[in-house]
Amino acid sequence: MNINCRGENLILSEERAIYWATKKMLIISDLHLGKGAHFRKAGIQIPSLVNTADLDRLTNLLRQFEPECLLVTGDMFHHQMNSEVALFSQWRSQYPDLKIILVKGNHDSLLASDYEEMMIEIHAIEFLMKPFRFIHDQPSVTDAYYNITGHIHPGVTIYGKARQQIKLPCFYFGKTCAILPAFSVFTGLSKIKSQQGDQFYAITPERIFLV
Amino acid sequence: MLLKKSKGYKQVISWLKEQRKKPFKFQTDAWQYYAEGYSGLVNAPTGFGKTFSLFLAVVIEELNHRETDKTINSKTISRQKNAGLKLLWITPLRSLAKDLARAMREVCTELELDWHIGVRNGDTPQNEKLKQKKQMPEVLIITPESMHLLLAQKDTSAYFDGLQCIVADEWHELMGSKRGVMAELAISRIRELAVSKHPEKLLRIWGISATIGNLEQALDVLVPYPELLKTIVVADVEKKILIRSILPDHIDMLPWAGHLGHKLAHKLLPIIWKNKTTLIFCNTRGQAELWYQNLLKLDENLAGQLAIHHGSIDYELRNWIEDAIHTGILKAVISTSSLDLGVDFKPVDTVVQIGSPKGVARFLQRAGRSGHSPNEVSKIYFLPTHALELVEAAAIKEAAKTQNIESREPVVMAFDVLIQYMITLATGDGFDDQKLYKEIKSTHAFRELEPAEWAWMMQFITTGGDSLTAYTEFSKVEKENGLWKVKSRQLAMRHRLHIGTIVSDAMLKVKYLTGGYVGMVEESFISKMKPGNSFTLAGRVLEYIMIKEMTILVRKSKLKTAISPSWLGGRLSLTANLGAILRHKYNQALDKTHEDEELDIILPLFERQAKVSHVPKDDEFLIELIKTRDGYHFFAYPFEGRQVHEIMAALIAYRLSKVKPISFSIAMNDYGFELLSEQPIPLDEENCKLLFSPVNLGEDIVASINATEMARRKFRDIACISGLVFQGYPGKYVANRHLQASSTLFFNVFSDYDKHNLLLRQAYDEAFYQQIEEPRLAAALHRIQKSKIIIVRPDSYTPLCFPIKVDSLRENMSTEELGERIARMTAEADGKELKTHRRKKNEH
Repeated sequence: MNINCRGENLILSEERAIYWATKKMLIISDLHLGKGAHFRKAGIQIPSLVNTADLDRLTNLLRQFEPECLLVTGDMFHHQMNSEVALFSQWRSQYPDLKIILVKGNHDSLLASDYEEMMIEIHAIEFLMKPFRFIHDQPSVTDAYYNITGHIHPGVTIYGKARQQIKLPCFYFGKTCAILPAFSVFTGLSKIKSQQGDQFYAITPERIFLV
Repeated sequence: MLLKKSKGYKQVISWLKEQRKKPFKFQTDAWQYYAEGYSGLVNAPTGFGKTFSLFLAVVIEELNHRETDKTINSKTISRQKNAGLKLLWITPLRSLAKDLARAMREVCTELELDWHIGVRNGDTPQNEKLKQKKQMPEVLIITPESMHLLLAQKDTSAYFDGLQCIVADEWHELMGSKRGVMAELAISRIRELAVSKHPEKLLRIWGISATIGNLEQALDVLVPYPELLKTIVVADVEKKILIRSILPDHIDMLPWAGHLGHKLAHKLLPIIWKNKTTLIFCNTRGQAELWYQNLLKLDENLAGQLAIHHGSIDYELRNWIEDAIHTGILKAVISTSSLDLGVDFKPVDTVVQIGSPKGVARFLQRAGRSGHSPNEVSKIYFLPTHALELVEAAAIKEAAKTQNIESREPVVMAFDVLIQYMITLATGDGFDDQKLYKEIKSTHAFRELEPAEWAWMMQFITTGGDSLTAYTEFSKVEKENGLWKVKSRQLAMRHRLHIGTIVSDAMLKVKYLTGGYVGMVEESFISKMKPGNSFTLAGRVLEYIMIKEMTILVRKSKLKTAISPSWLGGRLSLTANLGAILRHKYNQALDKTHEDEELDIILPLFERQAKVSHVPKDDEFLIELIKTRDGYHFFAYPFEGRQVHEIMAALIAYRLSKVKPISFSIAMNDYGFELLSEQPIPLDEENCKLLFSPVNLGEDIVASINATEMARRKFRDIACISGLVFQGYPGKYVANRHLQASSTLFFNVFSDYDKHNLLLRQAYDEAFYQQIEEPRLAAALHRIQKSKIIIVRPDSYTPLCFPIKVDSLRENMSTEELGERIARMTAEADGKELKTHRRKKNEH
């Protein structure tokens, strides 16, 4: 689905990503790489297929859009170095020409050398590219830049007849801030309070629609 | 051996004689069977000394044993002292333990038996537990959870060397729940530990149970071991129960619908003042809070003599209330099921049940809380909250007379409990998987466990899951010297913290600014409140100030009333037994072939129902089709309870929608259900039987309900019990945020990436057998097929359909608006009469 945001054309993908065509940039958030392995280390059974599925989806996106740059607005890695992060590192080496930019989130706690090894460009707080500011969590002050964030894993509830309801991940576009859905399938959803003029794009496996 | 000639028996009898007591026959029977090496189940009414039927059996044996020892070696007494645990007494409730211990200690003192009676549960202080570890008392009173905790410690096997008997108290209560499965597993383990070391010794297993429909099965679940002799000892004594309904002076005093029953509250006051202490049972905690406020408003003299007791009230406060009941300083206590079981409160001579108890067993259990001594009469009053509950009162009386009491279905194949248990053992001394499989298969809950399922369980806790999907880096349970163990101390600690099967919502503690805990409320309730708002808890009006470190700080509010929190909790559903008797009573009401005063009172309402519609007889099935401003209503009355109706309504809606495209909104109560549509419902005398046909039932259920959604809900508990989701204790902060994920997330991930997961299968099984109750639904449909179907088309809501109509509104609306809406709807239904009334006025 194509939308216009601050004069820029953005493509919203049902694989929970935004493609900014003019900059050849694929934008995702909250990848949480290594979350499954982190849980398993603590004795909680998570199938490792979850991680592979996330990476496969990313591969497909790269094939579809052929971006020059992958921008992650935070929480790329869930906790620390583990086997799933190593798996990602391998995956990374298949795309030496792809530039990866990470705006650090609250979960990203790998060593600087780890990022370097995986050729990931780090921005500790924010990454500016007119007209957008890419940042993990919504800043409290607003300025000329339109914020594109992640962090909260937005979800929207759709109500049907006979008290049916279904919760779906979504893109949120507000007055000063957009929120990306969490890329990883192994993440929960939190509802956001909507204000007038806010737009929610709910994501189903087949398509994206405006709520 | 002739027990009656033994020294111990004589000693006990003469002691009883001093107390001017004589043992009941069932007690001496139990003693005899115990002496002969039997295991079994004792069934007797409350207040007749069920405890002594087993405790004294063990005591007699001990006295006899010492007698023979003394003749051989006079030094044995000191050796006896170190023999350790002899009797393990399992109780479902912590509050029971204290009083049990007191009673047992008294007996030991009187009989000059130097036994220690220990208590071990969540309330036992740490130093006491350590003391027990050094030297186990002879008798240990314990909860199923604490048994598992004991097994989760190192070097526990030696505790059970001298164990002679395990008693499961209130077994009927435990059996139907996953806590029962915990007890079954722990018993199987302890038995194995004792028998493998001392094969010559006999470990007896006894249960104590109130009357339930399936006593034989209850025994089989508790003692599934074929090599044990077993028997059921049924008391031939009968507890006299007096059941009275609190009747309105006129049927118009009672609303057609509702669940509070305040209209009759004033009739409760004389009952409270006339009797020593009255226990007032409500069905929900919210209702209890409202009644507390209301009674105080009605009679200020009750202040200080009225208390409220429910599961969300702080432990110490509850303790105080329980002590106050003992000493008799309270006139009345409003309570929920928190006082259903347990301690004998001597001063309690009257019980009041507010609203339908939904089942015969529960009602009788509550009645038994009064008049606890053998020769006293249990007195219970039934206070209906709406008109139709009067019929339920009559039905309950009948059921009590004919002892038509429900069965308790034992829980089987609870994989979540099994996983927890396996890790419990691995945390403790470790286990051998071959041996453990045999042990587990010997229990009733897992007798159908397949080797493949067992292999899956082992994989789940050792490598993380299905071998088809590689689980790297997983290490929970590892092999060490041939035994499976949890090596990580951190994992072990986390596991010990969450042993148990009671899953609750995130609860926050409520505390005064000045100190002192009041109780607990759900996080979701408090999140809707703003500082300065007031709410009631434990009968106090509290002003909410702030949340600090997972504790809600409050101060006393100046307000007299405030909203009370609604604690989530399943609504109870009418049992099949009560449903059947209820249908029968509808028969009698109009025919006047009865002696129930309740049915006399409700007669005008029935006459009205007969006039505008029809009163269904035993062999009839009533359907009402009504058209109102809201649309086309379809009401049906199977009297099978809310849970069955929910599924049946969805089923009929699905089948109707196959006739033509149509959508419905669905509502139900314990008597019937409603389908509401904006277009005419394609139902008539012709296709009616076909709609309610039991043919293709399974397929149609799957197509009509959202089984995935139901399973997802069931998975919530399963995820917690099996250790996927760590909740922490109420009020305690979950430390490791990196490890938090919701049960829904797990459900989705397993559904997508690990289809063979047995926990997933369990969720669907639980949904089908517990939620959908397919067998009961099928039986109901068969009954309907044989009935004469009566379809009427009344002009407005009838007395029967009204409560359903109102219930359907309840979910979205606050109480106040609901009141208004009910008033309007009653006025609509009364419309015709109002009109005639007005005309008369004009004539004057």
